[in-house]
Amino acid sequence: MEKRNLPERPGWRDEAVKLGFTFADMGGEPYWDETSAYRFTLQEIEQDIEAPATELHAMCREAVALVARDEAWLTRLGIPQRHWDLVAGSWAEGQPELYGRMDLAYDGTGPAKLLEYNADTPTALYESASFQWLWFEQQQAAGVLDEDCDQFNSIHEAIVARWTQICADGEDVHFAADPENPEDYATVETLAWAAREAGLGAHFTALAQIGLTDEGQFADEQSRVIGTLFKLYPWEDMLRDEFATHLQSAGARFIEPPWKAILSNKGILPLLWQMFPGHPNLLPAFFLDDVAEAMRGGSPAPAVAQAFAAAQDDLARGHVLKPIFSREGAGVTIFEAGREVARTEDDSYSHHPMIVQGLAPLPTFDGFHPVLGAWIVGESCCGLGLREDRARITHNLSRFKPHFIEG
Amino acid sequence: MTAPATRPARKRSRHVALALAGAATLALAACKDDQVDAQSFPDLESCIAAAKDNSLWFTEQDCRTNFAAAQQEFLETAPRYESKELCEQEHGAGNCGSDPAAQQPATGEAQAQNSGGGFSFMPLLVGYMMGSMLSRGGGIFSQPMVKTADGRFSTPKGDQSFATNRGAGKVAPSTFQRAPSTLGKPPMSAAQVSQRGGFGASATARSGSRTSFGG
Repeated sequence: MEKRNLPERPGWRDEAVKLGFTFADMGGEPYWDETSAYRFTLQEIEQDIEAPATELHAMCREAVALVARDEAWLTRLGIPQRHWDLVAGSWAEGQPELYGRMDLAYDGTGPAKLLEYNADTPTALYESASFQWLWFEQQQAAGVLDEDCDQFNSIHEAIVARWTQICADGEDVHFAADPENPEDYATVETLAWAAREAGLGAHFTALAQIGLTDEGQFADEQSRVIGTLFKLYPWEDMLRDEFATHLQSAGARFIEPPWKAILSNKGILPLLWQMFPGHPNLLPAFFLDDVAEAMRGGSPAPAVAQAFAAAQDDLARGHVLKPIFSREGAGVTIFEAGREVARTEDDSYSHHPMIVQGLAPLPTFDGFHPVLGAWIVGESCCGLGLREDRARITHNLSRFKPHFIEG
Repeated sequence: MTAPATRPARKRSRHVALALAGAATLALAACKDDQVDAQSFPDLESCIAAAKDNSLWFTEQDCRTNFAAAQQEFLETAPRYESKELCEQEHGAGNCGSDPAAQQPATGEAQAQNSGGGFSFMPLLVGYMMGSMLSRGGGIFSQPMVKTADGRFSTPKGDQSFATNRGAGKVAPSTFQRAPSTLGKPPMSAAQVSQRGGFGASATARSGSRTSFGG
């Protein structure tokens, strides 16, 4: 793994505008940044990212199977009791997942470490699947990248294939998101385009415009009944909204399925560590409630005492506090040797229960810290998108960096 | 190290959306799903008999629970038609009846049970299939079965059909995925909306500065 300076494609900004990629610059800062790119070897991609991410997803499914049958875990993960049947039932029925993005810390040497799994509402899909692909093809055609180079990016094909697997031919799928947010909309549009390619009917509706019909079904902004709903809106919020009482009775099918509420929850990280202690791709993780006293010299909760003792030195060197519900780095604080060294200003999630996770220091390339986004479609890892930041906590204004495989 | 004899498999898409529209050349092979034990029965009694006889993975109680679940799911997800003729075209002569849900009074809880838009004919329930998801961390699941036009048996989803409604074998777990609901109006049909704005509030209340729902 290395970072390589490369010439930018002449006129890429015009092309971005033409394609509707309107957020290539955000807040006066570049978001899409192709002045350099990350290079991986095929072995790094296949052995250190692709295979471990696919394995992590399989481990996550085991964790979901456990939580779905365990009221104590459902409680701990903040799933409202009135929706336990919806969440656990969707798992028991085998409702299929569509996609997710694992954020991994990786520097080309040791095993990649799972920072968190946005298994419910990941964005940056267009940049990863489409614009990054275009960059690669054009740079290769221009001779900037070698003919033998490649890119880990079969995301689009995998999504099309997944749609054909999980939906009936011609099924009408509604896509709900916030139309005012171009990042969210681009992700939804990318999925909807793939759905059309898979032979499905794709229809957009603003999330806030979803209505409830006289017969208790959900309807789109044009008052058409919704049969299948893809929502770029977190389950933890969906379960707490006014319409939550109609989720089961409305007879709609949801994508992601309700069981993703279990997975897209930082509380899954302590559970994974409990189920797979010492796994090379996991960081030690605990609920803060269980170890807060122990971290000040007291005792941990008895159930995690042994695991905490094993991880204590690692955590003392460095750890991260995160709320169980959080997006885009909100509410994250990093500690090293007992001292707070970084924190995000956005604390809008910080009233939720917190977890403690061992610190996997991000590597530094030219003063930037990259985080790998490993895309999962269905049950397999099928592509990569990187974001990097000068700050140590990646957030929503981090830069997106293209990558390529060479060697 | 010597160069590999064959080129490594390509790691990127042949085409993507928004960059190259048009010819869709999709050749990703679907992974072969693992298979689960399944057994189908024309009625509850034959299931109970089989459970008493030599069941490997289900009990008499499983029969009762799953038959009830299959009956309920039949009401919720079996296809509905405007006329008996249309129904018989899909499911064969003599294999259709009227919609039991359409005869319930539209009051309170039962309101959502009404089928909408005059789609009030359904195929008959002619059995159910039970499958063991124990190897996948689940329990025992069931699907109702209806007839197909060519005399076979299928689940409401209709993507797989079986020669018989009595027999055991291995099927893909996806066989037990629930079909979309056919209660209420069909997807995309026009409806009367009584209320909007029931989704999105939790995110807005969280933070005034935040606009993205994703991350």
